Amino acid sequence: MTLLIGALTIGLILSLLALGVFISFRVFDFPDITADGSTTLGASIAAIMLVNGVSPLLATAAGACGGVLAGATTGVLHTKFKINGLLAGILVMTALYSINLHVMGRSNVPLLAVPSLATQAEHLAGWLLGGTSDLDVLGWEVAIRDAAVLMLMGGVVALAGALLYAFFRTNLGTAMRATGNNAQMIRALGVNVGNMTIVGLAVSNGLIALAGALLAQYQGFADVQMGIGMVVWGLASVIIGEALVGTTALGLVIVGAVMGSVLFRLLIAIALRAGLNPNDLKLITALFVFVALVLPNLLTRLRRRPG
Amino acid sequence: MLEVRGIKKTFNAGTPNEVRALQGVDLGIEDGSFVVVIGTNGSGKSTLLNAVAGTFIVDAGSISIGGRDVTHWPEHRRAQLIGRVFQNPFSGTAPEMSIAENIALAARRGQRRGLGWALRSDVMEAMRDRVHRLGMGLEDRLDNPIGTLSGGQRQALTLLMATWLKPHLLLLDEHTAALDPKTADQVIHVSEEVITRDKLTTLMVTHSMHQAANLGDRLIMMYQGRIIHDLAGAEKQRARVEDLLARFEDVRRREQLDESAAEMLRRAYV
Repeated sequence: MTLLIGALTIGLILSLLALGVFISFRVFDFPDITADGSTTLGASIAAIMLVNGVSPLLATAAGACGGVLAGATTGVLHTKFKINGLLAGILVMTALYSINLHVMGRSNVPLLAVPSLATQAEHLAGWLLGGTSDLDVLGWEVAIRDAAVLMLMGGVVALAGALLYAFFRTNLGTAMRATGNNAQMIRALGVNVGNMTIVGLAVSNGLIALAGALLAQYQGFADVQMGIGMVVWGLASVIIGEALVGTTALGLVIVGAVMGSVLFRLLIAIALRAGLNPNDLKLITALFVFVALVLPNLLTRLRRRPG
Repeated sequence: MLEVRGIKKTFNAGTPNEVRALQGVDLGIEDGSFVVVIGTNGSGKSTLLNAVAGTFIVDAGSISIGGRDVTHWPEHRRAQLIGRVFQNPFSGTAPEMSIAENIALAARRGQRRGLGWALRSDVMEAMRDRVHRLGMGLEDRLDNPIGTLSGGQRQALTLLMATWLKPHLLLLDEHTAALDPKTADQVIHVSEEVITRDKLTTLMVTHSMHQAANLGDRLIMMYQGRIIHDLAGAEKQRARVEDLLARFEDVRRREQLDESAAEMLRRAYV
């Protein structure tokens, strides 16, 4: 049960990452590698502020703002300085590695002893339920901390998803979607495509850094290595989500990305429990994305072949 | 309305692929005038349109629209003055977004886009009415992705979008060239209707001699990056398809003459 709840919680936290990757890869069709760095940036800013006694809510928000800046930087490198999108992301990601080390002052900041959003949720739930430490869910013993954090993350993700959906239906949001869908058309309608890309990448990396900040508080530490492979992870979630909902309708795609992230995390948790070597995790994630990208084309080619 | 003065544009300058697409074009268009541009492939007619639209900045000369000098304005800024329909039906609309969302984007052409809802009820109301007037039965399918529509339907919608807010200048770039003849007629009909009704200043490039003879109040023929014929008033009204074809034949002969003359010189001197 603890395993299931842990997987669900991490799946929900990383669904914010999936939403960020959805914005850059799908809405803007922009392969943004900044995500690897901004995950860690969000985590390290939040961690160092928590250690220094700043309120968890503020620390988390500051972490997300760091991501906004990182994304905007990538956007500026790409649109104003005409650097290839992939390279712009790699430059910012590489720079962020040093920045993250400076922010934290060392490569790892433990958070087990300081109040965080996780401990606050635990306190709140404990107060609401009158001091019990375990919960009885359908006959399973659930630690109240786990349940409270899961509820909190569910709330955060629902809020983020709803806000994102609403945003993409505003004048600014529709212009942003059109930028990724047909840049020539939206330019002819008076939109500065470069500025749209900058704002879009800022929002995307803000969400990704938020995921990093929450992940650090959930797992109890921030580490300079924690962002490695996050882009591919997010992409895998988005791809699974698209397969789950099977449509391009905006609302369903957002729900799909969240479901994809949770499902992918569950699959990984099961595989790890069945004896998968944790060192192989990134290899398997990369292979999965490779197969998911190649398979649809391969299937249509096989089908078209006569006989 | 539109004042083009001595504009020049060379692509790939200084390389073997150098193309002198515009070699000094002067053109003044009065308010409410409907100008048709014809010319052989590579004559610079589409380049002229793109220069006005701001797809690139010209090497020399000036462009002003409605009294404002836009020579150095980027494309998206000129969009507040210009409505455009492209040759490719896929270029003018965002395929994965609904008809309603596409029109809502056009309803704010050149304006600030904030956090207000894109599909406000008053915009939707106007949309149903104006889409209904296209006579294509699309008013009941406003929620469908525009990518599911035919090329003709998409061009008609792009035209509606380009003229949703009355533009100072409407640019039509061979906008029926990719359509079958029947659909092309339909789109031309819709174009003529909106241009006449709203008295739109229009610059239309076409490859169809039939359209060139029958549409507009002025006809321009381009050749090698220059305007070589400019027919207006009664002269334009008298022009028939055969006359235009004769002028094309004339250009073709001149081209052949150039080549054979060059060949002769080469044989004599090289």
